[in-house]
Amino acid sequence: MTAPVLSRKGRRSVWLRQFLIQGCWNYEGMQNVGFAYAILPALREFYAGRPEEALKAVKRHLEFFNTHPAMGAVILGAAVRLEEGVAAGEADPRSIGTFKVGLMGSLGAIGDAFFWGALRPMACAAGAILAMLHPLAGIVALLALYNGTHLVVRSRGFAAGMEGQDGAVAWLKKAALNIKTEDHKLAAAVLGGAYAGVYAGRHTVLGGDAFHAVVLFAVGVGLIRLFTALFRKAVSPSEILSFLFLLGVLILWD
Amino acid sequence: MAPRFALAALLGSLCYLDRTGACQLMLHRPLVVASLMGAIFGNLAAGAQIGAVLELLYIARLPVGASIPPDDTGAAVFAGTAAAVASSSIGLDGGSFTALLLLSVPFAELGRIADRYVRKVNGRIAHLTAEAVDRGDFRAVEHGLLAGLTLFALTGAVLSLAFSGAGVAIAKHLLYRFGPASRLEFAALQPVLPLLGAASVYSCSRTERTSAVFFLTMAVVFGATVFFRWSG
Repeated sequence: MTAPVLSRKGRRSVWLRQFLIQGCWNYEGMQNVGFAYAILPALREFYAGRPEEALKAVKRHLEFFNTHPAMGAVILGAAVRLEEGVAAGEADPRSIGTFKVGLMGSLGAIGDAFFWGALRPMACAAGAILAMLHPLAGIVALLALYNGTHLVVRSRGFAAGMEGQDGAVAWLKKAALNIKTEDHKLAAAVLGGAYAGVYAGRHTVLGGDAFHAVVLFAVGVGLIRLFTALFRKAVSPSEILSFLFLLGVLILWD
Repeated sequence: MAPRFALAALLGSLCYLDRTGACQLMLHRPLVVASLMGAIFGNLAAGAQIGAVLELLYIARLPVGASIPPDDTGAAVFAGTAAAVASSSIGLDGGSFTALLLLSVPFAELGRIADRYVRKVNGRIAHLTAEAVDRGDFRAVEHGLLAGLTLFALTGAVLSLAFSGAGVAIAKHLLYRFGPASRLEFAALQPVLPLLGAASVYSCSRTERTSAVFFLTMAVVFGATVFFRWSG
């Protein structure tokens, strides 16, 4: 059987549909419906005129799936390539499930650490600092810093996945997201420190002396250390804010 | 006021869609949402002012696996709307600013409960989708996804409408009850909130060198800010 090739239109459709991979996120299958939806245009082309095989393929992709949404692009691209092989009778359908399950956990962990733990704090801190100058500058900085990387990872990840399993693995090595995570965390620390410094500095008394400034700085550092320790003890920001609200109402409200 | 609420519900639903169901382009971040709500209710700058602090408060809570972080989008809808309504021509006073940030907590938690409920309903949709596919109808995948997206969008619209309504009500009927003296004293808590946000960034960006880099930058920027303030 000749291997079917995904048309440009089908490829574009799958690429666009990856943005809806969490569209029906649920506790049982997590991104299963979203993944099946994203790969559907490819399945329609590969199994045209073979409805029973198409149905089996859709069912394969309705099984449990969960990874970081941006990293899902790599798996989606590679799954399309694998389905191509299955449709041509060159690959075992079970290899698709094995591949997805094998990759989704590790890519999820890499994606969570990179996107949620490093890139997002960095972009948000930059946005929050620039918003002090002008609101639009803050918003533009946040969106540009985050999406400049996010969309590139989605795009290149999908293209690498479409080159097959080897292409996906080679791209993941080349992308070196673990090193970038470290760099972005340092950038986030710089921006977070700057944010704390600006806000603490803005609350110094005009005409005060150096001693007051040093005391205020020390209090700021102490509070950050205290909040960090509380976060590590699984105290949520909501609990801290609620405590502050109670403190405000009980003590300060005349 | 009705067109403003309609616009808040429409834009709110788009932001909520971005939060989980579609794209994740960060349009749901508090800075963006609070500024949007501020613009809709007449004061973009006041919305952005409160959004810039709200932005970092919950950032250490990651949406990993099945865990759902507090709904900072909902908190921003409430706080951005209330800030715009409560602000005067010279902006928002420190006491009102602090009170609104602290009052946004129940909305963040309510939003989280709603999010959990939507995901449970989505489980039912996914189940029905799988049943339909078993019967040979694989267009059900597209219908299932559309149903999930519609649910996220509708919930977002309803939450945005409710939270912006609460924002207007609290700004008009509750904040004035804080007398000027109380507001002045309530403002004493204001410096703590950005530091809580900075601690969130610090705690989620931990590496071997983070501590030194974070506090060194804080010291330099603090020194520069104090110098510029004192030197006029």
